[in-house]
Amino acid sequence: MAKLRMKRIEILALLEHSKDIIDLLQIKGTVELSERVECDAFEGLPTHPSVSFFEKYLNEAKSAYEVLSQYDDSKGSLLSALEGKRELTISEYIKKTENVDWILSRCAKVNALHKSIQEDKAALAQLESQTDLLLPWINLDISPLFKPNGQSRIFVGSLPLLYTEEELNEAIIGQIAEESFFDLHIISTIKEKTNIALITHSSVADDVLGALKALGFAKISDSIKGIPAEELAKVENDMSGLEKKIDEDTKELKSFTDCLEGIKFVIDYFTLRINKYENMEKLSVSNNALVISGFIPEKKSERLAKELEEKFSAIVSLNEPDEDDDVPVLLENRPFAAGVEGITEMYSLPGKEDYDPNPVMAFFYYALFGIMLSDAGYGLLMVISMLFVKFKYKLESNTKKTVDMFLYCGVSTLFWGAMFGSWFGDIVQVVGREFFGKDIPSLALWFEPVNDPMKMLLYSFLFGIMHLFLGLGIRFYTLWKNNQKLDAVLDVIPVYLLVTGVAPIGAGVVLDVPETISSIGKKLALAGAVLIILTSGRSAKNIIGKLGGGLYELYNTGAGYMGDILSYSRLLALGLSTGVVASVINLLGTMPSNKILKAIMLIFVFIFGQGVNLAINLIGAYVHTNRLFFVEFFSKFYEGGGRAFTPLKMNTSYFKIKEEK
Amino acid sequence: MENLGTVLAVLGAAIAAVLSGLGSAKGVGLVGQAAAGVITEDPSKFGKVLILVILPGTQGLYGFLTAFLQLVQLNIIGGEYVPISLAKGLMYFGACMPIAIVGYFSAIAQAKAAAAGVNIVAKKPAESGKALTFAAMVETYAVLALLISILAMFSITGINL
Repeated sequence: MAKLRMKRIEILALLEHSKDIIDLLQIKGTVELSERVECDAFEGLPTHPSVSFFEKYLNEAKSAYEVLSQYDDSKGSLLSALEGKRELTISEYIKKTENVDWILSRCAKVNALHKSIQEDKAALAQLESQTDLLLPWINLDISPLFKPNGQSRIFVGSLPLLYTEEELNEAIIGQIAEESFFDLHIISTIKEKTNIALITHSSVADDVLGALKALGFAKISDSIKGIPAEELAKVENDMSGLEKKIDEDTKELKSFTDCLEGIKFVIDYFTLRINKYENMEKLSVSNNALVISGFIPEKKSERLAKELEEKFSAIVSLNEPDEDDDVPVLLENRPFAAGVEGITEMYSLPGKEDYDPNPVMAFFYYALFGIMLSDAGYGLLMVISMLFVKFKYKLESNTKKTVDMFLYCGVSTLFWGAMFGSWFGDIVQVVGREFFGKDIPSLALWFEPVNDPMKMLLYSFLFGIMHLFLGLGIRFYTLWKNNQKLDAVLDVIPVYLLVTGVAPIGAGVVLDVPETISSIGKKLALAGAVLIILTSGRSAKNIIGKLGGGLYELYNTGAGYMGDILSYSRLLALGLSTGVVASVINLLGTMPSNKILKAIMLIFVFIFGQGVNLAINLIGAYVHTNRLFFVEFFSKFYEGGGRAFTPLKMNTSYFKIKEEK
Repeated sequence: MENLGTVLAVLGAAIAAVLSGLGSAKGVGLVGQAAAGVITEDPSKFGKVLILVILPGTQGLYGFLTAFLQLVQLNIIGGEYVPISLAKGLMYFGACMPIAIVGYFSAIAQAKAAAAGVNIVAKKPAESGKALTFAAMVETYAVLALLISILAMFSITGINL
């Protein structure tokens, strides 16, 4: 139960079977194909053109899906994401593929409709701005472009500031020296602007225009060409036409929503084909033979080899991977350990020299998470909801791992919450005191950290030391197995001695440590320190380098481990913060003095407040547990850098295609 | 004047809640802006960025926690009010300072790391766990400050002055 052993697989088969073999490999999903090695006798299959065709179709289907799901009213709940993929047998799958072309034509139609709706909406917006432009001129009963006979000229436009007709008349007259004849009409006054039309005799037109310009006259927009009222009617007519068209198109789009299932299938179908064709580029073919090479988990290899040999009379060879092969990593664990696989993957997959850390880290992961969340009520909620999800839905393997992780974290939270006597904070005591007048004593099976934070702090450090020692232990084991026995002993044992020795001395600062223990501690610490000084510089060439390296390493170890252990104080801090905030919420709920009011208030405050507190602290516990593993724990032994196993498989998102029995 | 000690202690509690609350508000707002940008492009990433948005919010919670515990220690919330000495009040005031000051600055520093993390989520959603880790690194110092504040407060209660 750990990293699966990989075998190198080579398949030699007749070219005519190539598609069937790839199909079989894809359905089995157990072989990762390796890149083709260049050689003279065999060539690659150029599949790139087909892939780009498929990608075009895939994009068409995807954008149609996106458009339609906006219009789909039958949206599922949040939990429906957990429902998993619908299962299809291969014959059902093949039957559905007949529909692909028809669905694709629907997709094209959907996309065209969507595009035309978007364009219409843009046009509508433009017309709307046109109406804004026309509205101030609605009382103008001539076209602004109207040219009267040679005797007169017309100016239409706007002036800044608001004027009455008399004020404006005076203002213009004040600007021109001689008496002139003109006829002024104010069309409208809007938004600190006066819109006017002015008729004047052509002999004084230039003077009048000059006067207007001095007042800040601006000509009416060029886009108004006809009589404004008529233009407005036209624009409004166009707008209602567009609106009607948009409505009709939207209705038509909505009628396509029953195609959604079909479109999902088409998306999966092309995803599969793209994946398949991309992998076919990795094949080597000659005129009538083909070679496939790749990696396969050992335990699945024999069966696949047999099936290939029987069905296609192919020649399959299974070999141990070479020393310098880049062997992919696939983990397999029992559910308890598989829960934390996601956490390890987030950091890095185990490298060549690493063991799978999940089985040893799982227990500590759940324990530390539980201490940080440490409320039995929250733990119980987690356990119940995770069990509900587990039994109600058919989960995909990755979701299942996450659900398992939170399930075990919940169990641990329940345990530690009970130890520390926190059930939704102090709700039991609060209800007892406020409604039944009874003082209920602490429910803690061990002790309440709020009452003795120092004790909890020391225990946090103790848990931390145990955690770090486990990491060091794995380092010892790994080095020992790799035949670096001397390194194993000298890297690990002195640190054990030093930390074990210093711990009671450190604890002595805050509590009474028996004389015998602290004196033993001093000796252990001294022995550890001396060992580190003497041995950790062993790779240096001369004696001074060795000693210098040793001293430097002693400083490093001391400072490093002190920082690492102090970091576990977050167990106390986060635990306290969950419990105390939960209690504060309960306290807020009991503010009214009337008992009935108090009960109602408490129920509301309790549900809302505890919900928020749970959410925030869940995130806190998750993030900080991860940190303790990534920074403190993994640094002790873990190299990482492994490459994930990515087999050719049915990488669908909506349907699960299974073999018929 | 006999109440001056308590006044100082309550002032300390208030500063702890105010400063760390301010820091968290600033921080959550900062990451929220970055997150909103991602959501306009891809609403399905809401869950992932939400965690990053919430992260700088914990400092406010720590300040609140400290202030609340302090008010309980002073018997202002629950219990019988008894004035404390000036020296003790000043000690309580001092005890609040770590989480008040570190809370404020760490929330903003964490927000910057988280906002950068939002970019990781936008470009490489698979690596969002790493983005979370960077932001969580900053939080360590807020946690340490909270611890000192709380431990000091509990210890001060035990001193007879």
